[in-house]
Amino acid sequence: MGRTIIEKIIQAHSRDDAAAGRIVWMDLDVRSARDFGGPNVVKNFEQEYGGAAPADPRKTFFTFDLCAPACSLKYADNQQACRDFARKHGIEVFDVDRGVGTHVMIEEGLARPSGTVVGTDSHMNILGAVGCFGQGMGDVDIAFAFKTGRTWFEVPESVKVVLKGRPSAAAEAKDLTLFLCRELGTKKIALRSAEFYGEAVRNLALSGRITLCSMITEMAGIIGFIPENGPIVADGDAAYADFIELDIDGLPPQIAVPPSPNTVRPLADLRGTRIDSGFIGSCTNGRTEDFARAAEILKGHKVKKRVMLKIVPATRRVYEEMLERGILETLFQSGAIVVNPGCGGCAEGHVGLTGKGETQISTGNRNFPGKQGKGQTYLAGPAVVAASCVAGEIAGPEDL
Amino acid sequence: MSKGKVWKYGDDVNTDVIYAGKYTYQQLKPEEMAARALEDLDPGFAKAVKPGDVIVAGKNFGCGSSREQAAACLRAAGVQAVVAKSFARIYFRNAINLGLPVLQCAEAVDQLNAGDEVEIDFAGGKILSGGRVFTFPPLPESVIGILEAGGLLEWTKKKHQFR
Repeated sequence: MGRTIIEKIIQAHSRDDAAAGRIVWMDLDVRSARDFGGPNVVKNFEQEYGGAAPADPRKTFFTFDLCAPACSLKYADNQQACRDFARKHGIEVFDVDRGVGTHVMIEEGLARPSGTVVGTDSHMNILGAVGCFGQGMGDVDIAFAFKTGRTWFEVPESVKVVLKGRPSAAAEAKDLTLFLCRELGTKKIALRSAEFYGEAVRNLALSGRITLCSMITEMAGIIGFIPENGPIVADGDAAYADFIELDIDGLPPQIAVPPSPNTVRPLADLRGTRIDSGFIGSCTNGRTEDFARAAEILKGHKVKKRVMLKIVPATRRVYEEMLERGILETLFQSGAIVVNPGCGGCAEGHVGLTGKGETQISTGNRNFPGKQGKGQTYLAGPAVVAASCVAGEIAGPEDL
Repeated sequence: MSKGKVWKYGDDVNTDVIYAGKYTYQQLKPEEMAARALEDLDPGFAKAVKPGDVIVAGKNFGCGSSREQAAACLRAAGVQAVVAKSFARIYFRNAINLGLPVLQCAEAVDQLNAGDEVEIDFAGGKILSGGRVFTFPPLPESVIGILEAGGLLEWTKKKHQFR
């Protein structure tokens, strides 16, 4: 019997038979924790293992991305507790200047095709974008992974999702992703690994692959892969638990409306909805290509006076590319606020929170009640967020 | 095998009713956590539960947030196992990591009633109650090892054996 992508990756890291449904022990190439969860990992580790060293400090990392630099005493304390632990054991810290942990790991080559990475980030499965196993886990799990370099895991079944047709020229990777959030909901790929096929995904650049794979969590999946033009393919006779075909021909821009990322409607239905703020960034849309697209639309325009446009590059390298390519200047001139790399508003992090009564349009991945503050959050791609911030209401670039 | 009494609940018992969100950011001792177990589902549970008792519930037990305390509080309360038709996956993982046995057995769920006396044979995959025998697929050896040690962290200290 052939193997799916997830089975292949896990098998390469396990002595057990990594067939779907089996619980196996697997070796981890990278184990990490961040400023949320990290302090509890340290606490668990020290409580249970005392002064013992992690299995391999060179494969162990901290990434600070939620509140960078710390904007509260709690975060400052928590980050310092992780730094102290890291220094004691010779662990590298990608500190508050570096950006979103998963993105840094891709840039640094730590998340590699066919590799295995765990951390305290529920969007760790974003690493599927580069053909790497990534999984978010709890504090106890990660403390154990630090100590042993291994974890137990139930090998998930796989679903093959085939996309037919070509989205409209106006649609971005985010629009395709939101469409999938609606169509797949939280049941069709739940607890499974999804493999996406078809022209529309085959041609996605890394930034687009990251956008799609980042929202597998919102579809309740374990992880997603894009095998075509990717680094790792499934065997021809691999077994799939389900096969889903979706027609995406002519797909227009999409928007997720409150209260969930799975309640998605076309832009046309929401056009004209008044907004107070916009956010471009997050692990879903924080790459240079995302900001280049926003800058293209904002060039020669101004963000409407009563609207805030908050911009958070995913990493320092993205920030640097924005500087080199003049994107930063365009964004600044338009009136946007650009801040230090990191996650932005998720988990009460930093920038991107909304106040009661505020309506925000965001390139983030979650708009559950309370997730990004007390306001209402709509999710969209960078082009629609940029255009909406100029118009002061939900709009597409063609409306300017 | 120890004997215990059945506490019976329905489908979709979520982590908020197992362990309320307002306690998750407090550092509580195991006995304090036990006293708050199932507070919003069955206020009488924490006072009356005895070591060895078994929770029997329907589909998707432990859905909702990923808080580990929702498994820890039941273990602290002395619950021998949770038997359900299915478990939310994060809960399943947390429960094993914290040493709380979680068993899938729809037949037992359909037939057992609150107050029934049960015994569980983990290695043999059997739930015994009043002459009735319900079988469940035994957990993999590695998982039984973690449960017997009392959780993942204890297991590393005691055994640290990998195949």
